[in-house]
Amino acid sequence: MEALIRPEFGLTFWTITCFVLLVFVLSKTAWKPLMQAVEERERAIKHDLHSAETARAGAEKLKAELDARMAALKAEIQSRMDEARLAAQKETDLLIEEARRSAGVIVESATREIEAQKAEASRELRAKVAELSVLTAERILVKQLDHRANTDLADKYLAELEKERPDLKLGNN
Amino acid sequence: MGLKEILEHHIVDHIWSWAVFGPLKLPISKHLLMMAIASVILLVVFPLIIRSKSRALAPFRAMIEIIVLFLRDEVVVPNLGHKGAAYMGYFSTLFFFILLLNLLGLVPYGSTATGNFAVTAGLALTTFALINFAGIKEQGLIGYLSHIVPKGVPGWLYPLLFPIELVGLVTKTFALAIRLFANMIAGHIVILAFISFIFIFGSFGVAVGLLGVAPIAVGLVLFTLLLELFVAFLQAYVFVFLTAIFTGSAMHPH
Repeated sequence: MEALIRPEFGLTFWTITCFVLLVFVLSKTAWKPLMQAVEERERAIKHDLHSAETARAGAEKLKAELDARMAALKAEIQSRMDEARLAAQKETDLLIEEARRSAGVIVESATREIEAQKAEASRELRAKVAELSVLTAERILVKQLDHRANTDLADKYLAELEKERPDLKLGNN
Repeated sequence: MGLKEILEHHIVDHIWSWAVFGPLKLPISKHLLMMAIASVILLVVFPLIIRSKSRALAPFRAMIEIIVLFLRDEVVVPNLGHKGAAYMGYFSTLFFFILLLNLLGLVPYGSTATGNFAVTAGLALTTFALINFAGIKEQGLIGYLSHIVPKGVPGWLYPLLFPIELVGLVTKTFALAIRLFANMIAGHIVILAFISFIFIFGSFGVAVGLLGVAPIAVGLVLFTLLLELFVAFLQAYVFVFLTAIFTGSAMHPH
């Protein structure tokens, strides 16, 4: 049984020789190309990852920029609209104020005109009344009739006069 | 023929002739043939698979690549640090060499070269050389020798601990050789014992051996064979893993 564990150390020499040679040869022929391929792929993956990350960061930056610009635009639109509303309000107030003022002016001038017309009319009336009285008295004095006849005469003459001078007719003006 | 002869026939190396180089008397044996076959596979088939661009070989390439990357990322770099990548050639070759020798032992008419203590001793010696080489290269000769004793040990213990640690260094690699050798030989002995059961019980009567024991024994043999297949991979991994740990602790003493 002791043959099982009795080593033949000549084989140890073979093993070491064989193994050391294998290490040197395989390092050149097998592991080097393998590791090169693996490292190349790892580099490519890392590069892809990196570029994807950069692209994402760029996209995120762009989005933030656009968002900011959007917000700015929205704010500007809001402020412009407010401004426009304010301006319109001011304009409206101004127009109403002006309209009110000019209406006041018109009313005032109309009132003045009416006053003037009224004064004129009363002055004219007074003159007509005076003239009529004078003319009537003149006729009365000319005819010298009794009171009744005078009165009749006066009426008659008044009618005549009124026919003759329609512009002196009472109650027409 | 007793169990002794059977075991020796199936497990022990068959030396066919001797090659004599001056004072060196080297055996030409079956285990040497197995090593030659493994070497040819490693030298011819592996570079072919790795360098070929053919799609048919891609799965094999991927298998080799996965194993090598596993060794790099889980075994070598965590233990040796980033300088360990330079030793990848050694560790990859070691793993595949041991694995192929283990697997060749499971092939009919093959024999397990790693079930020979001379072979595992050779592998352990190269590991021993690598441990010391890496340690001295990393820390310098004086730094390496002064770090053999762990840090924080009181000064008066140094004379005691230094020889112990030195012996420990040798023991570690010796244990490495014994572990691989014993693991590879054990499965074979168990299988041969199970097969022998058939004949032992067969001596009571042919029917007992053939109908009673043979089915159970063959089932157990199959189970042990599958276990051996697992052990072939496991022991290759363990050998490489322990080599990496020892080399790492020689390079980084803290």
